[in-house]
Amino acid sequence: MKDLIQPWKEGSAKNITFIVTKDCQLACKYCYLVGKNEKERMPWSVAKAAIDYVLDREKDPNFAYESVIWDFIGGEPFLEIDLIDKICDYIKTELFRRNHHWFSSFRFSFSTNGINYHSEKVQKFIEKNHSHLSVGITIDGTRRKHDLNRVYKNSEKGSYDDVVKNIPLWQSQFPSDGTKVTISSADIPYICESVLHLYDLGIHQVNINCVFEDVWKEGDDKLFDEQLMTLADKIIDGGKYVDNACSFFSENLGKPMDCKLQNGNWCGSGKMLSIDAAGNFYPCTRFAQYSLRDKEAWIIGNIHDGIDNNKLRPFLTLDRCTQSTPECIDCEVAEGCAWCQGENYDAAKTHTVFQRATAICKMHKARVRANNYYWNKLYRKLELEGKREEFEKNHPNVKPDIC
Amino acid sequence: MKSYLQYLVILLDDTSVAYCHADNPLKERNLIPIDTLRKAILFGMKENLMIQYVYPDYELPAEYEEVIESIDNVKIGREVQVLTEVPKFIDKDNVVLRLTISDFISKSFDIAALLPQVKRMNICIRDVENFKDEMQEDYKRALNTLCSVLANLYKSGKQPQVNILTDRLSLTEMHNCEAGIGNITIAPNGKFYLCPAFYYDEKMGLSNRMNHKTKDSSRSVGDLNNGLNIPNKQLLQLDHAPLCHICDAYHCNRCIWLNQKLTWDNNTPSHQQCVMAHLERNACRSLQLDLIKVGNLSVEPIKEINYLDPFDVKEDF
Ligand code: SF4
Ligand code: SF4
Repeated sequence: MKDLIQPWKEGSAKNITFIVTKDCQLACKYCYLVGKNEKERMPWSVAKAAIDYVLDREKDPNFAYESVIWDFIGGEPFLEIDLIDKICDYIKTELFRRNHHWFSSFRFSFSTNGINYHSEKVQKFIEKNHSHLSVGITIDGTRRKHDLNRVYKNSEKGSYDDVVKNIPLWQSQFPSDGTKVTISSADIPYICESVLHLYDLGIHQVNINCVFEDVWKEGDDKLFDEQLMTLADKIIDGGKYVDNACSFFSENLGKPMDCKLQNGNWCGSGKMLSIDAAGNFYPCTRFAQYSLRDKEAWIIGNIHDGIDNNKLRPFLTLDRCTQSTPECIDCEVAEGCAWCQGENYDAAKTHTVFQRATAICKMHKARVRANNYYWNKLYRKLELEGKREEFEKNHPNVKPDIC
Repeated sequence: MKSYLQYLVILLDDTSVAYCHADNPLKERNLIPIDTLRKAILFGMKENLMIQYVYPDYELPAEYEEVIESIDNVKIGREVQVLTEVPKFIDKDNVVLRLTISDFISKSFDIAALLPQVKRMNICIRDVENFKDEMQEDYKRALNTLCSVLANLYKSGKQPQVNILTDRLSLTEMHNCEAGIGNITIAPNGKFYLCPAFYYDEKMGLSNRMNHKTKDSSRSVGDLNNGLNIPNKQLLQLDHAPLCHICDAYHCNRCIWLNQKLTWDNNTPSHQQCVMAHLERNACRSLQLDLIKVGNLSVEPIKEINYLDPFDVKEDF
């Protein structure tokens, strides 16, 4: 069957996420999942019903996308490798049996903590599905940075050593897949060393972001600015820009934006579908109860009753300017300033997805300053070396990680 | 132009008559304390608001009537009659018919027969959530039944108004319910609510899908002692409602209580609300064409459109 399956098609992709378990070996200090537990594991019957529901609706506008990404998250998804294997086999068989247009364009995607990546079962699964997989292992940087947050449950032991030993294997299997790094207040002093360390480990794409939650302390923006400036110098002076990319530095950043021409929503919630162990549907995982501090889950349906399209309408009508404050609308550096719809909802004064949380404001402004410095310095260097044109053609880019 | 506060709705009792989409589930009498009533009136005077009292079905003590008459007012449940059944005759000029969708459809002839007896009839569907796409033809037919009677009455010189059919005839911009921005409600507990329905929900302990950053059922938006405090007030305005903003069903209630109930966001209408309002808009268009033809009307013509839900033609970014 493998041979029949064609690779990925570019174009619009539906993202369908299975929250296979709410359990994890780690208890990361910044983890936004406030309701993790060992009990809620997805039963096969729920997974199967969800797949049938989706595949029965090939022509439904909610699923009329060219391609599909089946996402598996947790907790730690690979804790449920047997279930995942069964789900993926069923998806492939059903796509083929139904002659579904996604048969020629689907992908399975994983975000893992990497701890049991080398296990026999996970490796067997990877071998079987390799051409359709993308796998991101989260490693936060140097040992001290990683172990600051990513510690084992019930102990303060860091997980760095157990993850880093799997990096060469992972990189040999998925050389173009990058890692995701999350920055909170306490992590700022380690940003520079961490990005460089990840490059040294052979990870060329570092997708690094500040958390959206309201965690920033007085002076954090200044520290952040300094870290990014040091990082910029190290990357440029060390010539590391040739093979590597870091999402903090982007050319599409820091310009004012127009409410007519640039009014799109940042995040893809509502165009995605998340399914939990009970068979409930969410516009994105961040709207499940285990991700919310202050608000009730935003359940848009379930495997039995289907999707209530009314509950999706706010998400599908969201635009940038309606949810933004006048300050954000007039902001001179608005471009690239991100938000998470789930955090917006959780932090909002009312039950709405139309109130943009702006805790990240001063961090974005600091990032824009350092980013301007980075490109000014880099392009001047390349010009003097006569290499600008070549660089512009070939340089690696990290696509901004939208959720 | 942004809406501004013009009306103060005062619920005189917990059992005051329901006059809009939401039923009043409260069965126990709880008369507004007379001091609260005085304070509410004072608030209305100082904010320059027109007062609308909502009456229960029993006589109020004489001392209340005196306070009530201390300011110009409209009395809902008295001079404006509110009915949940279609009567044989109406002896008031101004009537609100609160009907289920199936009653409206099945009794459209009886309703049409009442039109010569009134100056204004507000038709309010009590169960918008039960409207299904399969009912579109039936709803259209019921609206057309009323329209043909209206057309004849207009031609003969009588001009009764029916909110869902004649308001749109001459509107050139949105004219919606405007709860929280054009009007505000005071309940017997002395607290402000966006409209009476939010008070009912609070009293019934319904989970809060609307007001505050809490999971409790509190839905008040201020009180008489501390004034109004409407969180995210901008989201009540038309320019913060991406669908309504591009819509020309100008007569639509744009009911934010229905919005929060059915879509969970107060600036986003449900499919049902939009489709019903567009069927009304289109029925009004036929009526308008009819009246323009015979020269009874000179207004801006309503355009022909090919959608019933603005969601289907919204801009995709
Ligand atoms: S959050 Fe701050 S930086 Fe971002 S757009 Fe708003 S004002 Fe600008
Ligand atoms: S029909 Fe829909 S979009 Fe138009 S005003 Fe009414 S609720 Fe808003």
